[in-house]
Amino acid sequence: MASTTFGVYDAHQDNSKQAQWRADKWMIAGTLLMGTGVLGIFGLPLFFYGLHLQIQAGKAGLSVRPLIVTLIGYLVIIDSSLNSLGWAMDLFANHSLINRVLTAGWGAVFDGGYFWHYNELTVGPYAVGGAGAPGEKGWEISLILGCFCPRLAAAIGLLQMKRWGQQWLIVTCWMGVIVWIGYNLNMTFYADVRYANITFPVWGWWIYDIFYITPFLSLPYLHTVNREIFTD
Amino acid sequence: MNKNEEKDLPLGTTGHFANMHKWLQRALFVCLVALVLEASFSLPGLLVWFGWPTLSMTEVCDELMKVRWSDDNAECLVPHPLYGANEGEGRTTGPNATAQDQWGIQPRPEYKRIGFRDLVKFRDDRLLREAEAKAQAELIYRTAGS
Repeated sequence: MASTTFGVYDAHQDNSKQAQWRADKWMIAGTLLMGTGVLGIFGLPLFFYGLHLQIQAGKAGLSVRPLIVTLIGYLVIIDSSLNSLGWAMDLFANHSLINRVLTAGWGAVFDGGYFWHYNELTVGPYAVGGAGAPGEKGWEISLILGCFCPRLAAAIGLLQMKRWGQQWLIVTCWMGVIVWIGYNLNMTFYADVRYANITFPVWGWWIYDIFYITPFLSLPYLHTVNREIFTD
Repeated sequence: MNKNEEKDLPLGTTGHFANMHKWLQRALFVCLVALVLEASFSLPGLLVWFGWPTLSMTEVCDELMKVRWSDDNAECLVPHPLYGANEGEGRTTGPNATAQDQWGIQPRPEYKRIGFRDLVKFRDDRLLREAEAKAQAELIYRTAGS
């Protein structure tokens, strides 16, 4: 056994690894549910339990991930999942009942881009459907493929304390900064389409969407953390 | 910060950035919880806002379409037929277009704003309008017949 052969250090490493994995199992299960959106309320307690296990392990002197790394990693996964799920529904399931109530209904309340002439978009003779607001489809496709999927992978690397995870999260979080600026300016230039005659214009959108500011909370940490804690 | 205080900091955090990391951690926690609760309650919350359980989910979809194209005849087909007509067909352009827009380089929609449980009210108003129109038509028919 490693603990007897190589001493206390190895035993501590083994115990730490086991404790981290035990906590992660609960947090992964919670995140799978939280990433679905509507089932998130059932995932949150599982996630909290995992978080509790990790904090307890840390207090017991085991070497587990810093809490903030855990929060960044899982929040990025949830943020990416929710964005990708919503936009994938708008792209591929735009005539389903749930999408016409949830996405188009959300549009009528917070963002007219998802309500105005919904499901009318075509490319030549081919039906595309979903949001028809100027620029929106381009953002959806490019961000799912170019930003959220790589960011989700980077978050998994970060949670594994890999150097590539930290580096790619920095890259994709900077993409997120461009997304926030570009997306909001696009909405601003087509403000009538987005906000005329909807229930909670502009301020409603901000209250709903402000919790997606993950990149702005992650970058200051990722740039100031001692990167030696991440391994190659 | 002395050596002992440095030792209490989380792994990877130096004394210089300790305060910033503490506040970032708090904000990250708030965002995570808020995001999950928001995503969980969006569908039920919107349904209640629109008129569920008075209106079924299909009826909500139906009323939303009637508002979108300002058209009492717009209908939410469930399931939407594969290769079926575009939902806005004939409603956005053409002689019988019903959609209310100020068209221009930056179009402005002129549909009705949907307040709390307004879709129930819209439905009741429409049913009343239809009943009145029917009664009116019957009256004309009877008057013409006599």
